[in-house]
Formats: sequence, structure tokens, C-alpha cells
Amino acid sequence: MKISFTEEQNTFRQEIRSWLVANLPKEKLKSLDTKEGFEQHREWEKTLNSGNWSMVTWPKEYGGRGLNLIEWLIFEEEYYRVEAPTRVNQNGVFLLGPTLMEFGTDDQKNKFLNAMASGDHIWAQGWSEPGAGSDMAAIRTTAVLEDGFFVINGQKTWSSRAAYADYTFGLFRTDLESERHHGLSFILAPLDLPGITVRPIPQLDGEPGFAEIYFDDVRVPVENMIGGEGDGWKIAMATAGFERGLMLRSPARFQQTAAKLLSLYLENESQCSPAIQAKIVEAWAKSESYALSIYHTASKMMSGASIGSESSLGKIFWSELDYMMHETALKILGASAELDEEQHQNAAQWIKGFMFSYAGPIYAGTNEIQKNIIAERLLGLPR
Amino acid sequence: MKFVFTEDQLQFQDTMRGFLSQECTPDSIRSGWVDKQPLNQQRWNAIAELGVLGANLSEEDGGLGVDQVALALMVEEMGYVALPEPIAEQSFLINDVLHLFPDQIQDAIRAEFNEGKEYIAVSHPQNPHPVFLSEAKGLIMIDETSCHFVKPSDVSSELIKSNDPSRVLSRILGVKNTISSDDNFQQLNQEINSRGTLLTASLLLGLSQKMLDLSSAYVLDRNQFGKPIGSFQAVKHMLADIAVAIEFARPAVYRASYSLLETNPKSALHCAHAKYMAVKAAELACKNSIQAHGAMGYTWEMDLHIYMRKSWSLMACWGNDDYQQNIIFNTLRSSDDELGVLYTF
Repeated sequence: MKISFTEEQNTFRQEIRSWLVANLPKEKLKSLDTKEGFEQHREWEKTLNSGNWSMVTWPKEYGGRGLNLIEWLIFEEEYYRVEAPTRVNQNGVFLLGPTLMEFGTDDQKNKFLNAMASGDHIWAQGWSEPGAGSDMAAIRTTAVLEDGFFVINGQKTWSSRAAYADYTFGLFRTDLESERHHGLSFILAPLDLPGITVRPIPQLDGEPGFAEIYFDDVRVPVENMIGGEGDGWKIAMATAGFERGLMLRSPARFQQTAAKLLSLYLENESQCSPAIQAKIVEAWAKSESYALSIYHTASKMMSGASIGSESSLGKIFWSELDYMMHETALKILGASAELDEEQHQNAAQWIKGFMFSYAGPIYAGTNEIQKNIIAERLLGLPR
Repeated sequence: MKFVFTEDQLQFQDTMRGFLSQECTPDSIRSGWVDKQPLNQQRWNAIAELGVLGANLSEEDGGLGVDQVALALMVEEMGYVALPEPIAEQSFLINDVLHLFPDQIQDAIRAEFNEGKEYIAVSHPQNPHPVFLSEAKGLIMIDETSCHFVKPSDVSSELIKSNDPSRVLSRILGVKNTISSDDNFQQLNQEINSRGTLLTASLLLGLSQKMLDLSSAYVLDRNQFGKPIGSFQAVKHMLADIAVAIEFARPAVYRASYSLLETNPKSALHCAHAKYMAVKAAELACKNSIQAHGAMGYTWEMDLHIYMRKSWSLMACWGNDDYQQNIIFNTLRSSDDELGVLYTF
């Protein structure tokens, strides 16, 4: 056991820190859920890629640096420390990327990974359907093989980033006779194909962060299927594991929120009751525990262990923590909490973050579904 | 950065687990309660023979140099079986800090404790009622300003009943012929306080896991509406919540033990963090476990309360979560360190 960084790791930290100082956009980007902001964020992905920072854990041939998970966590810490722009391609680099690395053919890796790292392809998720939310095995959108193409018909919804993205990945029913999680395949579809209609859905913050995607006889080449026909469920479960696990929500994000919350408290201490002190401590203690847990998990994975259903424990923990921290910030702000103005102690940022924190317990599989997974797969309780 | 245990550390934990699962059963604990002899001398001796007692002393004091990380893992196993004997206390509060006591007190301890195998009780402002004083060969008393050693025959005390029949407590009424010193007091007091905090956190981790395991087994076994109650989501979710709380207390406890090993300047904060998280997990484990057991959980007959009682006691002594919260808050408030992502390591 050694719980501290090596010299090389500290050097690496300095390297990314200097690069960020030199390359960070001078002005804050517009929201990535607006057309203009989306393109600004795409440009930022290109800038990141020009320094080989898109995904440090990927092999060099795909635009990465071939580094390990600890170094990725260090990258994330530096990234959040300077509040660098949100990764508009997180569906790609954090979710689909690792999936392609594990299940994709060489051709698929060559075609998609570099374009993903460079920001040329921004990816949207295509899991949910109107009748398939928590019950994802109820998927009904069909993909029928015809002359080397899948002909896709149906509807996806809550598709994050789909309003402006270039591609979507998701599960489609390729065996029309099949039921539940059988007969599903994992397919990648360009969003500019004839027959696709994207209808953005304004979110709680008023901006179109997700969208409905309608497929009407859309023809997608068979080479865009990851794995074999009928392997979709197995591959999707691996992708969902990446999402709930350490990839999507590295600890730095929550530690940075806890630190900002403490600063906000110290600026307003004279007006705060001891109940707020208790929340400040809880925010620090839990974000600290989350960081320790992720470093512990990363170390175990590097020693050859694999994680499965354990990732559900973390998803519940960070989503509840994020909500609690933002709720506390609004209490500290008092009557300023409703102000849509940056100059009032970042009130606008806090309320936006607060609204987004409501999404945490819902996306990537609701927390209720995660608790079922924990009970059934970790505690051995019956379905 | 390699936050995983060594083979040796895991070996010590495995050995302890195997031994205790045989030697410290609920039945053996209950018979100690009936006989009003919760400290089982035979089991104490067996643990000494296993080489656990005194194993964390320095080699010149006859120890094997077992480190604080391995010790914390072993203590977690002691929690899992609600071990009545104060092995964790002896190992952490006496053996692990022996070199920090003032010279004349070190000599007095060495004369009595048989290379860590005989018990020395400890009283401290955060642990005012020493446990099993009648079995001790000596008493260390820490007050606000100094450290004292006294022989049990020179202590006038009365027994107090604990809500946990496995804990025999004493109220100290008076002492004579003490060896007293304030040499190195601040450091000694801090290190003992941190270790009391950590050892109770480790015990609570084990206890919480035991309550979760008992509850998972019970809800599989108990049928209502024609099926196991563990198939109902309301029950599943209560137990899943315990699992989440334990999962994120665990690395905090492990890190705190490592900080003691490395004499990290932040070890007091890390121990406070460990206890804070462990108490939150144990509170939830008690509350949701008894609920999952229904009325059976409220009986004397069901074993669950052996572990709940121990948990309630250990949550309270060596600083409850409110006490730890103050330590954390004051540290955060006065720290010059850059907070946030660079604070952890």
C-alpha cells in the first residue's frame, strides 16, 4: 500500500496544469446546449486533442497517451481545478470509446476513435424509448437487415446531446421475434441520414440538452454494428458500467463543488446557523470518501481486478452528494438564491447546478434501479 | 499511488477472521453474559497464542512489527464478531504508542504487560469509563494536562452497567500511588485520541457489515405474502442503503490507518473522517437492520442486538460523529491548504 503520488505522477500533474493555463479559453464558453455553445465546445475538444489530452488512457494510435487510471484521475483533478469546459463529447470519450476498445473491430476503431478524440464526431446516447426507460429491455425500435444495411424504424428519447450531435449509439431490436434482452444489437447511426428526425426537448433549465430521435426507414450499413447480432444487451451493460463507474463521474468534480461550497460558507459565515456547518462537513467528508474509494477502485483494477455491480454503489453516493451540496449552497445564499445573476456570489451558477443535480439520481439508471441491482447482485436477494 | 493491501496485511486479516469465526460465536458471547463474565480469559489467551497481542510492538519490545494497516483490518474482524475482549484497545492504545509514554510510565507498563499480552486499561476524557478494569494489570489515566499510571490495587472504583452486557465499565472514584508526568503530553494525548477514534471506526465497520449480512440472510428466509420479504423493493432498498454507507466508510478507515503508519501530519483529521463516516454507516445499519427483521429484531432472542448494542456503545465513545464533525470543521476552517481536488493526498 502506498497512498501518495510518485515523482512521475507529480511531473505529469505539472504538465497538464501548465498546458491548461496556456490553452484554456480566455472567455467562458456559451452553454453547450445552445447551437453556438455546442460548436465552441467542439472547438475546445479539438484544442484538447491538439495537445493529446482527449483521453489520456487511450493508446497513442487513437489520440491518447497510453496512461493508467491514476494518471487519468490526476488529469481530471487539474481539469476541474481550473473549471475547464464541460466535455461535450463525454458520451463518446467516456462511454462509447471504452466500449469500442473492448468490443469493436480494428476497422471500427480506426473509423471512430480518432474522429471521437478530435471532436469531429460528437456522440449522443440512444438508449431510452417512450416505452423503455428503467425497463430498457422493453426496447421496440427495430433494425431489419436488408442487402448489407439495417433498416431502422422507431423512436428513441431522452437522447443526451442529440440536438446538435453527429452520431448516436444505442440498442435496436434486430430479431423481431425476440423478447426482452434477447435479440438486441448495438448499432452506431449518423444523425444526418435520410429518414431521421431530431426533435429537441427543452430541459428544466430551458435548453435542449436532450432530444427525441425518430427513425423512418433509416438505412445504416451493417459495419456499424458493434459485436454480433444479438450481443447488444451484453455490450450495453458494459457501457452502462463505465457510465456509473469511475469514468463519467470522477471525484474531482465533487471535490471542487465541496471546496466552492466551503468558500461560499466562509464568505457568509455570520449569517449561517450551525446546521449549515454540519452540511459543510458532510460535503467535505463525502467527497473525500468518494475520492478515496475511486483511487482504491482504480488501484484494484490496475492490480487485475474488475468491477461489476459495485459501480451502482458509487452512482447512488455521488448523485445524492451532489444534490445535497447544491441544496446547501442555495440555503447559504438565502434570498439571493433565486437571482439569475453571476455577480451575486455566482448565484446563477449555483441554481443551474442545483437543477442539474436533480438529474443525477435519474440518469445512467435511476437510483431505485441501482438499489435493486445492489440488493440482487451484491446482497443475493431474490428478483 | 497503490491503494491496495499487501499480501501480508490480507494474510493477517484472513487469519483473524478464521480464528474468530470459530472462537467468538453469538452463543459464546451470550454465555459470558449469563455468567456475568463477558471477558473470556481462555479466548484472550488463545488470541495471545495466535501471536496477535503484542504483534504490533517494535521488534526490540518483542513484537513482530505488524503495521497499523494490518492491525486495523484485524480490528475490523473483531468488530464483525462483536469480540468482547478489549484486544483492539490493548493493541492500539498501549502497544502501538508504548514509545510515546514518559520513561517512568513506559517502565511501569513494561513491568506489568508481559510484552503486550497482559491488559492495561485506559481512561481518557473521550473514554471516561475504562472497560474491564478488574482484569487489568494497570490503568493509564489521561486527563486534561498529564498522563498517569496506577496499579489496579491503588484504584478505588465502582462498577457501572453498560447497555452492552459485553462491556464491564468502571467509574473511578479515587487513586493513590500514581506515577504521573506531563512529558510529551500533547503528542501522547493526540496519538491516543486518534487511535481510540480509529479503532472504534474499524470495529464499527465490521459490526455494520455483520448487521447487513444478518439482515440479508433474514429477509431471504422470512416469507410473507407467499414469498421472501427480501423480494420486495422497500426491503431491498433499505439494505442497499446500508451497503452504500459501508462502501464509502471503508476507504476512509483504511486511509486513516495508513496515515498513522506514515505519521502523516493530517492523521488526526483522517481518523476523525474515518469515525465520522463509520458512525453514519453504523447508525443506518442498526436502524435499517432492525426494521428488516421486524418484531423479531426487537427480541432478546435474535442475535442482531448483540451487534447493535456494541455499535451503540462504540459510536458514543472515543468521540461520536458530532465530536468528529467539530474536529473536521475547525480543521477546514483554519486550513491554509488549497482545498478541493488537491487536499486528499
